Amino acid sequence: MRIGKSILYSALLASAALGVAHAQDGEKQYRFVMVSHIGSNDPNMNWLTTSLKEFEAKYPDVKTEYISTNNYSVQEHVRLLEQAIATQPDGIAVPIVSSDAFEGPLRKAIDAGIPVVAFNIPDGRPDGERIPYLTYVGGDEFLTGKKLGEYALTKVEAGEIPKPTHVVCASHDSAHQGLKARCAGMKEVMEKAGAKFDELFIGAEPATARNTLQSFLQANPDTNYIFTVAGWSSPWAWGVANEMKLDPDVDDKGVTVLTVDEGPVSIEGVRAGHILATNSQGFWLQGYAPMEWLYWNKKFGYAPQQSILTGPLVINKDNADQWAEQVRGVFGDKAYDEQNTW
Amino acid sequence: MKYLVRSQGFGATIGVIAMLAVFTVIDFSGWWTVQTLSNVTQFTAILALVALGQALVIMTKEIDLSVGSIYGLTGVAFITLEPSLGVPGSLVVALLIAAAAGFIQGTAVVKGELPSMIVTLGGLFAARGIIYVWTGGSVHNFSPDARTHALTRLLGGELFGISAAIYWVAIISVLLAIMLWGTRFGNRLLATGGSRESAESRGVRTDRVKTAAFVLCSLLAGFAGILTLCNQPQTHVTLGENMELEAISAAVIGGCLLTGGRGSILGVVLGALIVVSFRYELIALGAPSSWYITFVGAVLIVAVIFNQKLARFVGHSV
Repeated sequence: MRIGKSILYSALLASAALGVAHAQDGEKQYRFVMVSHIGSNDPNMNWLTTSLKEFEAKYPDVKTEYISTNNYSVQEHVRLLEQAIATQPDGIAVPIVSSDAFEGPLRKAIDAGIPVVAFNIPDGRPDGERIPYLTYVGGDEFLTGKKLGEYALTKVEAGEIPKPTHVVCASHDSAHQGLKARCAGMKEVMEKAGAKFDELFIGAEPATARNTLQSFLQANPDTNYIFTVAGWSSPWAWGVANEMKLDPDVDDKGVTVLTVDEGPVSIEGVRAGHILATNSQGFWLQGYAPMEWLYWNKKFGYAPQQSILTGPLVINKDNADQWAEQVRGVFGDKAYDEQNTW
Repeated sequence: MKYLVRSQGFGATIGVIAMLAVFTVIDFSGWWTVQTLSNVTQFTAILALVALGQALVIMTKEIDLSVGSIYGLTGVAFITLEPSLGVPGSLVVALLIAAAAGFIQGTAVVKGELPSMIVTLGGLFAARGIIYVWTGGSVHNFSPDARTHALTRLLGGELFGISAAIYWVAIISVLLAIMLWGTRFGNRLLATGGSRESAESRGVRTDRVKTAAFVLCSLLAGFAGILTLCNQPQTHVTLGENMELEAISAAVIGGCLLTGGRGSILGVVLGALIVVSFRYELIALGAPSSWYITFVGAVLIVAVIFNQKLARFVGHSV
């Protein structure tokens, strides 16, 4: 009898709690989930989570969720994706890290009427073959290299930096297609300008990378441009060139260094005059815009007819201060200063 | 001459002579420059320190796959703790972290009677994971005051135009050689690797010897990480990634046998020189930088065959 009463009270309490929760979520019409490859061990996560908060503030009838893992693997990412789909959200934003691995669960979700937006990494296959997501929101790695190369050539025209004779693209991952595309974009521009071009795999280990780059620069003394395809490796490249007395600061002689990303290292490198330019692929937009398109699709049936490129945008000495302020706002002053390794 | 041939570093000595002869013939003007030799010797010193620790463990018939991650973890700890502890304090604590990692792994191997390959593979992942969680994916900067601190300059500066790392590896190599060939502990270490049962029958506490070898190995790897960062305090969470493979290669090329009981301090340093020189020169000659690992693999196989034959020639059973 006592047990029966307990069960009854528990049921009543649970019903009351559910009722309260339902009342609180009453104004939330939609729930969109971002299943990300960027975990809390990557400072870039702040761009995405900040933009989701701002999206929720603007669209009070939407609840957003950010799901990721610090122990990244494609399998783990697929598991998170399948879990998210099982909760039947109103929309999903996901980077297509592996077309093969994501194809099954995403096609099932799309068939079940859940709209999907790819962000940061598209499905690289042709239109008829790729996962039929609503759209892709993110950067274009080839354009990243190309735009930075074109920017450098405008500075050559202005007489501010030397004409490129030999460009080396220093990459930390020889199998990463995105990094290869960055190098390819730079290569297209620089070879047209008459410069020799080399892609050099330096690895991700700092000492090995410096050793490799030193060897290359020693053997190729005509190299006067270094393009690092990660922001964090730009101080290594600058340091090696500086040790070799190749005058790597931004001026009309010696070596010129270019890099990527809107992180503190890249931006402070530009501000200090060590780096000619870096780029933003619009990380904040890559959080906000997918949510907006999911919302417009659910509410009005809108569907964009092509990919939405959020970058690249060149960050140079003219706009670096403004970017520094913006990035400080996302990362916080303490983290920003700690991450400036110059 | 007979003594030279009998020494465990003979293969590495031959290897270095052959390598220098080839480099002289194909790239005399590129190889024999102050800049090249300075770069090669500096990176050799760092790798040699890690490889020397690895060699001590290999001599006890074990292996340590975690040295790359310990090198990274110690370096990251040194930089991350500096704002609160200062350079001397963070140096001591970082080395204590390295020693603790070595002690835990060594104890797991000897007390748990677990294969060192599995234990230290776990150590490799665990230490790398700690780096990621601790740093949040980005390593802190090293303050201007810390960069100019006397201790930082002592560990990462230059003297007479020669990198501090080279002096340190020379000092540590001499100390290790004295320890190995001139002390009771060195004798017990070699005996433990040569024949554990025989060593134990003579009263050698092989469990303690192995644990000490793991602690020394981690300490040397950690110290190498600190030397690297004192010289160039711009780093990343990837610090030390894949270094364990180069360290094992250098130790084996240098005359250490995976069957234990044999090794040479000079041979290990020369082994590190071979690994670094190959990487440097192949890139200088225009080969894709990822090819060098293929050459290291080939040299490694040749070195194992040569060292085994040499060991048999001088009467060791391998």
